[in-house]
Amino acid sequence: MSKVVEISPTTRHEGHSKLVLKVDDAGIIERGDWLSITPVRGVEKLAINKTMDQVPKIASRVCGICPIAHTLAGIESMEGSIRCEIPRDAKLLRIVLQCANKLHSHALHNILTLPDMYIPGTDKKINPFSAEEPVRSHAKRIVRLREIGQTIGEIAGGEAIHPSNPRVGGLYKACTPRAVQKMYDLAKEGLPLAIEQMEFMIAVLRNFQRRDWADVGGKQIPIPKDLGYHNQGYMAAHPMYGSSNLDENPGWNPERWTDVRPWDWYMGEVEVSLADPSYPIGGTSPVGTKANPQMEACTGVPLYDGSPVEVGPRARMVQFKNYDEKGTIGQQIARAMELPDCLYTIINALDEYNPSGKVLADYIPQGDGSLGWAANEAPRGCDVHLAKVKDGRVLWYNMLVPTTWNFPTCSRALTGAPWQLAEVIVRGYDPCVSCATHMIVVDDDKKIVAQKLIR
Amino acid sequence: MAEKITVGHVHMSGCTGCLVSLADNAEGLLTILDKYADLVYGLTLADVRHIPKMDVALVEGSVCIQDKISVQEIKETREKAAVVVAVGGCACYGNITRFGRGGQPNQPQHESYLPVGDLIKVDVYIPGCAPCPQLIRNVCVMAYLLLKGTKDQQELAKKYLAPLMQLAERGTEACGCDLMYDVVNQGLCIGCGSCAAACPVRAITHEYGKPNVNREMCIKCGACYAQCPRSFFNFDVVTEFEAISDLIAGALK
Amino acid sequence: MGTELGKYKLCVSARSTDKDILKKAQDGGIVTQLFKFALEEGIIDGAIVAGQGDEPWRPRPFIATTVEELMTTPGTRYNISPQVSWIKEATRSYGLDKVGIVGTPCQMQAVRKGQLYPVGLRDVDDKIALAIGIFCMENFPYQSIKQLVEDHAGMKLESVKKMDIGKGKFWVYGARGQVVQLPLKVTHKYEQPGCHVCLDYVSNLADVSTGSVGSPDGWSTVFVRTRKGDDIWSKAIGAGCFETKPIEQVKPGLEMVSKLANEKITKNQKTVEERAKFGVNKALRNPYIKP
Ligand SMILES: Cc1cc2nc3c(=O)[nH]c(=O)nc-3n(C[C@H](O)[C@H](O)[C@H](O)COP(=O)(O)OP(=O)(O)OC[C@H]3O[C@@H](n4cnc5c(N)ncnc54)[C@H](O)[C@@H]3O)c2cc1C
Ligand code: SF4
Ligand code: SF4
Ligand code: SF4
Ligand code: SF4
Repeated sequence: MSKVVEISPTTRHEGHSKLVLKVDDAGIIERGDWLSITPVRGVEKLAINKTMDQVPKIASRVCGICPIAHTLAGIESMEGSIRCEIPRDAKLLRIVLQCANKLHSHALHNILTLPDMYIPGTDKKINPFSAEEPVRSHAKRIVRLREIGQTIGEIAGGEAIHPSNPRVGGLYKACTPRAVQKMYDLAKEGLPLAIEQMEFMIAVLRNFQRRDWADVGGKQIPIPKDLGYHNQGYMAAHPMYGSSNLDENPGWNPERWTDVRPWDWYMGEVEVSLADPSYPIGGTSPVGTKANPQMEACTGVPLYDGSPVEVGPRARMVQFKNYDEKGTIGQQIARAMELPDCLYTIINALDEYNPSGKVLADYIPQGDGSLGWAANEAPRGCDVHLAKVKDGRVLWYNMLVPTTWNFPTCSRALTGAPWQLAEVIVRGYDPCVSCATHMIVVDDDKKIVAQKLIR
Repeated sequence: MAEKITVGHVHMSGCTGCLVSLADNAEGLLTILDKYADLVYGLTLADVRHIPKMDVALVEGSVCIQDKISVQEIKETREKAAVVVAVGGCACYGNITRFGRGGQPNQPQHESYLPVGDLIKVDVYIPGCAPCPQLIRNVCVMAYLLLKGTKDQQELAKKYLAPLMQLAERGTEACGCDLMYDVVNQGLCIGCGSCAAACPVRAITHEYGKPNVNREMCIKCGACYAQCPRSFFNFDVVTEFEAISDLIAGALK
Repeated sequence: MGTELGKYKLCVSARSTDKDILKKAQDGGIVTQLFKFALEEGIIDGAIVAGQGDEPWRPRPFIATTVEELMTTPGTRYNISPQVSWIKEATRSYGLDKVGIVGTPCQMQAVRKGQLYPVGLRDVDDKIALAIGIFCMENFPYQSIKQLVEDHAGMKLESVKKMDIGKGKFWVYGARGQVVQLPLKVTHKYEQPGCHVCLDYVSNLADVSTGSVGSPDGWSTVFVRTRKGDDIWSKAIGAGCFETKPIEQVKPGLEMVSKLANEKITKNQKTVEERAKFGVNKALRNPYIKP
């Protein structure tokens, strides 16, 4: 008979989420639901009738780890709606900003997942904040990589968190040659560190993969070889940056997207029947606790071609680089492999950038209510914002953010794993839960979307 | 070395940008954790699932009063923490959540977001969106000195923290309009430009030396007013900028 | 002497040794010379100065990163230039790591508050490499200067070569040699209201502060206040940037500076106190007590 375990809240990711797991007698997950329980701030709805300039600034604030993705996706969805092409040099600085953010975000994610991993050759888990070697040296490298990412982002974007420089039509300020030089030097400094960090992460992850067990709350839990495997598809709009409806060959297609409410997808009410007070730290929910994922889930379930998809580093690499390693470890390795790529892309963009070029479109149309969308490849995956702007005001706004795509996919990936390792799988997705407090509705809007695009 | 203080990060309805900002102290954060503070709670960084007792709670985000867990957690935070610091515009003033009006799936009833100070007593404010790593750092160092320092250090920490405590007393509403209400309208503006520099959405320009706020850009973070030298200016502290900067830099060595 | 002159390590009378700077400068060319030296030595990689705005004699903050750019900015414009508004951008799209800034005493207060309480000034606090403060009795809105020059002095703003406040008068020098002096009692009503609660005359919080008062014409009084200021000043002296005289040996000397500083502080302290009972049992706000 299957039993129900609840881990609430889950830790070492951004925002509030929980796991409701049906497990068999051996503790193997038969069905898992991972859901956001972060209150819904309702950015899509509060956006209505605000200005197209303000809404992306508000949207940025759904996530402080990848605010750049939301800022850029927000702005570019507005530009997509009003049909505004931005100058080339503005685009180049946006690319720099994008990659700088990804660098910091991936490095931060490394800090969050490392405590699940072991120092190779030992049975000692990694505490990234420990002052002891060898951990401290690795921590310092991660810290420096983040610092480099945040500093480059700050120069190109005005702020490291919630960039102020991007605006509808381009950017407020171009970067001077000195600023370009500084970013360039930082990127050059970061490159060997990023390569080192990639190699370190891969070594640690492979080491975990080779282990038979992981310690969870004093128990040795067997690590299945297919930890985190799923059979869902992948979705990515671009190998690094993103795409929008203004592109000649858009990398995303709104017609392939549908949406289900949690009501139709998550489990109904269940009662916790298995509790483990020794689960770190604070134990699982006590027996008798009621859980009701379909009611509690704060996000919807977006589908691409009718099924949940994975988005993120691996999705990008599967789509564009023939990568094929499955499971939690494969996913994290893909992320590590993106680290150097962030810096190569920054260096190339800066090489092309002309500091005396203009960064703001000469003419910014105010919009006629047409649909625009932008699919930004955020650190955690494809972040699609859709907007309709009329007379400079937002009529309609939707955000299909990375973790919203990943919730259902990751839920599927839990099946077959010992429940004690469920959080390890979740963390592999680099979840950023508070951004995922948005949901799209299956309604007439969907049809309008399709029609407009055919036109 | 005196013992460390215990610090927790409580995440309400915020974006985690405030926490990222704390982390952006880079090696400074490692030093703080090595020497001055044990991070005893913080869902993003630590595995602790339930709010423990702590010296200082850094609260990020506003509170959704339609969400039982949030309301319960903020009350618990007050009970468990000796000092509650509202970190960032959302916790202090509501920031963008002031615009929330519900109606969004899957929880359309999540409509009302309150700054932390509307539900519990808050001791210290760190406004801004995101708040600056350096201000968070300074407050952490001063909180340490206040709780574990020598007599002189305690005096200094008190003086340093005083205006940030007074900001907490001042209220839970902020917006670019404060520059008009409480500075220009009060005959105090000197056209220094600090407000424009501080604004994270470039909502402020200066027209003939005085601030103009684009109210359709302002997100209500409260940075401009708190940064204005005519909101507060404590001579006894700012005049000692050189010594205090040295002290903080020394503490992070 | 009390606290009216702030803390300082050194006070001298000085002027630049660069003829070109002296020709363009308001007084002894201290500000421009020191920034020029700091730029050339890599002590700063840019300076926020008051450049030419959209209208005659209207300043706007301007980031000079070369000596050439710097040389377009000497001279005093007696109206508001929100210098601090660029302090963050200087470290962003301009890419500066070592920022110089010149400003009035209140702007120095803003800079130091911003370093100790950086609410919205991320990563700026350690990038202020040289803050030069100027002395300041009061500042004016642009319209005030326009009215003073065009109505009271009977000159077009466009044809003014220099303005100066000194020896108890407001001086307007025309391009064709006219000189008009207005008694300061005429200028008072035109002052920026915020100045009336200002309790700093000589930029107590700058690294180096300077003004004409205390020194003979064409010379400036200079206070070197901080470690940073001291370091840069002594290097500049070593490099022969300035001619100096002990302040004790010049007329009218430090006493004059003290006198004016005390007058300003006493007068404005009174205003601060009067604000406490401005209405009927209603006070105006006092920023020195709480926000
Ligand atoms: C509003 C105001 C009031 C003043 N009141 C007095 C006074 O009462 N007593 C006294 O001794 N000195 C006063 N000064 C200072 C004096 O006029 C000179 O600016 C100072 O002596 C520097 O001269 P200098 O030759 O060394 O600088 P210069 O080499 O001529 O350079 C002057 C610098 O000041 C900057 N500047 C010009 N206008 C402004 C402005 N509005 N705001 C900020 N920066 C500006 C310029 O960018 C330039 O860098 C006042 C200055 C101002 C702006
Ligand atoms: S104040 Fe800004 S950075 Fe902090 S939680 Fe709110 S939106 Fe995020
Ligand atoms: S910061 Fe300066 S310019 Fe802005 S309101 Fe305050 S005094 Fe005026
Ligand atoms: S004007 Fe800018 S700094 Fe002031 S509250 Fe609004 S957003 Fe914040
Ligand atoms: S008098 Fe004071 S407040 Fe006015 S401009 Fe001068 S320094 Fe600033």
